[in-house]
Amino acid sequence: MPSRLSRREFLRLAGLVGTSAAAAACAPIYARLGGPAEPAVGEAPGLPPADWLALSRLTYGPRMAERARMAAIGVEAWVDEQLAPTLIDDGPAAWRLRRFETLGLPAQDLADQGDRLFDNLDTRSVPAELRQATLIRQVYSRRQLYEVIVEFWSDHFHISVDKGDCWFLKTVDDREVIRAHALGSFHDLLWASAHSPAMLVYLDNQANTAGAPNENYARELLELHTLGLAGGYTQTDVMELARALTGWTVKQRFWRGQFAFEAARHDPAAKAVLGLRLEPAGQREAERVLERLAVHPATAHHLAFKLCRRLLADEPPAEIVARAAATYLATSGDIRSVLRVILLDGLAVVPGLPMAKFKRPVNFVVSALRQLNAETDAGSALHDYLQRMGQAYFAWPTPDGYPDQAAPWAGNLMPRWQFALALARNEIDGTRIDLPAGALPPTELAGELALLLLGRRFSLAERDALLSSLNAAGAAEAELPAILAAGLLASPAFQWH
Amino acid sequence: MSMTDTRRGVIQAAAVLASAVAWPAWMPRLAFAPAQTAPRGDTLVVVFLRGAADALNLVVPHGEAAYYNRRPTLAIPRPDDRRASAAARAVDLDGFFGLHPALRPLLPVWEAGHLAPIHACGAPDESRSHFRAMELMERGVEDERGPASGWIGRHLATLNTSNPSPLRAVGLGQLPQRSLSGAVPVSALRSIVDFHLGGDARAVNQMQAALASLYAGGEPLNRLGQETLGILETLQALDPLGYVPAGGARYPESEFGLGLRQIAMLIKAEVGLEAAAIDAGGWDTHFAQGGSEGLMAALLTDLGQGLAAFHADLFAHMNRLTIVTLSEFGRRVPENASLGTDHGHGSLMLLLGGHVAGGRVHGQWPGLAAEQLVGPGDLAVTTDYRDVLAEVCLRRLNNSALGEIFPGFTPTLRGFLTA
Repeated sequence: MPSRLSRREFLRLAGLVGTSAAAAACAPIYARLGGPAEPAVGEAPGLPPADWLALSRLTYGPRMAERARMAAIGVEAWVDEQLAPTLIDDGPAAWRLRRFETLGLPAQDLADQGDRLFDNLDTRSVPAELRQATLIRQVYSRRQLYEVIVEFWSDHFHISVDKGDCWFLKTVDDREVIRAHALGSFHDLLWASAHSPAMLVYLDNQANTAGAPNENYARELLELHTLGLAGGYTQTDVMELARALTGWTVKQRFWRGQFAFEAARHDPAAKAVLGLRLEPAGQREAERVLERLAVHPATAHHLAFKLCRRLLADEPPAEIVARAAATYLATSGDIRSVLRVILLDGLAVVPGLPMAKFKRPVNFVVSALRQLNAETDAGSALHDYLQRMGQAYFAWPTPDGYPDQAAPWAGNLMPRWQFALALARNEIDGTRIDLPAGALPPTELAGELALLLLGRRFSLAERDALLSSLNAAGAAEAELPAILAAGLLASPAFQWH
Repeated sequence: MSMTDTRRGVIQAAAVLASAVAWPAWMPRLAFAPAQTAPRGDTLVVVFLRGAADALNLVVPHGEAAYYNRRPTLAIPRPDDRRASAAARAVDLDGFFGLHPALRPLLPVWEAGHLAPIHACGAPDESRSHFRAMELMERGVEDERGPASGWIGRHLATLNTSNPSPLRAVGLGQLPQRSLSGAVPVSALRSIVDFHLGGDARAVNQMQAALASLYAGGEPLNRLGQETLGILETLQALDPLGYVPAGGARYPESEFGLGLRQIAMLIKAEVGLEAAAIDAGGWDTHFAQGGSEGLMAALLTDLGQGLAAFHADLFAHMNRLTIVTLSEFGRRVPENASLGTDHGHGSLMLLLGGHVAGGRVHGQWPGLAAEQLVGPGDLAVTTDYRDVLAEVCLRRLNNSALGEIFPGFTPTLRGFLTA
């Protein structure tokens, strides 16, 4: 049942000003980033720009309850609260996920589901369930920062469900690698990923055998997952690591989809990777390399840079990256500590930074749903839109994950506009919003919608230009709520967070 | 139509707001204005084979014994190999090189003199990293220090062709290609059929009015929005569902085939298209690459049928059209244990068009003997890919600003094309 976005709620939102102004005093972190407030019409209610920026970056679009929470406790306490997700009651999201039985099944059971059917149905329905559940969590979970970081690691350790057995192995990887370790230790995350059947299949390591190794996983392990391209390894390191990883594979019959080390396929000779001499020790050889990689300074820098790029800016300042990397090394890769530096301490050292981040399609869609308080089944209609925008879940064709900078996304506005219009007019199957029809005069309605979606008031010029162009296009008063909401969702301002 | 008036209003509004606007750091900017004014040359179509296509199985060096020694299971049989079925053998081109049998549809293009493969070409970068190699190649730079924009973007920015079309450059696919980024706004175009706002006419009209108002202004995103509205207006006049290809051309029913079909339609509709970029993916064949049949053969079938249909459909336009294929690098000469190939170095480009020096395989062949290979066993690069692209820019696109398109590189003209 859709919750009604009423005039009362609009006004309650406006009422947040008083408390948030007080909270702003103890929240200096984003304060330097928001810049001066936009020229406003009348009173300027809502969160201060810095808190709004923090909230829209660290959630998938602020719901009213999250605005209220941020206003009440300030950014620092809010971040700490979100960094302990298991302490946040997540009943509503859990309730919506209870019918998704594949999420909790072991690999063998998922494979059996596929085998029972003759028409390959489950090679589609297992990943479809994972996609739907992912969207449900992003829309409804109260553990918003956790979901943001889960998406980050899903890109970092990207696996496409379109390759081989990944159609069911990714569900296991999502549960036991990404979600299990997203806010834990990077060593544990890397270790779990390297032993993850989905990753070994995705990057061809199940075919990496003594005699003529397959370099695919070894290369991406160094280039994408740990050291980074400038991390100081050589082609020889790639080839030696590939030899150390020979025999790391996935069981095909009994215990299908389990990790296996097959000694008979392992290259028994000694190897040397990154100056580390590996005496013959079977599975242990590559594990020693993983241990070395997890605490390597190049890994620290690479991860710090990528996290800063995701959470702060496309070109994050070197000082913040350096501080995050130092924290990484000091804590042996404690993800929570690194995030705390990036989100709280790090930003304070560089004032006046341009911090705009372009919303990737998932952020765009989910923020529209959350900020308009949509009721949604997170079903295929929404995934069709995401695909047209370029970001269907777990489908990027290469192992580097979806791009994280504005440029690749900014030229594809049309499907965003299509989505905005369809959502506002309630033309998306399985998704409903409820706009306050006729409750407010047009100027006030435009102002309140801007506050809801953009976190700020319109400037007088923006508002009047929009209303007069709609007037010229013959929009009747009853049509205004939907067309104003669609226009704001499609507007340049809503594409950034 | 009223949209035109709105667009004019948009431009006026942009002039007022531009001074107050901070440009985000992500938007590539060029330090120079168009250096030259010239009539537009050919329409350029750039096909990027993503994932490092195996050059040796694309245009097969069937005259090299070492090719067969190093690829016991993956090699394509010689054109005269009686042990293989005729359909599995390489299609001979010149007695030494032959097309993969799945590229047989390109034989008429070869025979028309409209196909020029260039073997053993590529970039100096030896990282063997897809991501680095693709990025550098699309930027057209030697290493990461060069400009952030793409080489096609810089070509368009340095040549004033007096072409005001919002469709001067398009990227076919979900995201526009890096090679197109630059001063000219570029939109991704996945399907002309889908490029509309949808819904009832009244709502669409209001939405377009709202968008024109909201996207007024000079910021890069606003300009992209204005371009998108312009494209919408242009495409509304076309009839994509009624399009009938010429010359009996039959495009494959793939994303790639659909994309080429749309490019052909835009070219024939004369909407001002100067450059189009389109991708074909899936070439990272570490595992089960296959030989005359299999994974790579399926990709080649799509590629060959697509390019052949494009050639047939646009045969009457070949004098004004240049098509070039690129891939970030080639694959290792010896096959691996997974019946696939690992990342290599030397690659291959195909030039198609009415003014390519067709009917022969270009490039200095470095050989496949052990001492002729580079790195861990890879085909050497004897032609820099920028030599090919620079010649396209100079001879076919009327652009001589090669120093700005490929900074820090001095191209050698080798006669791949005629003016």
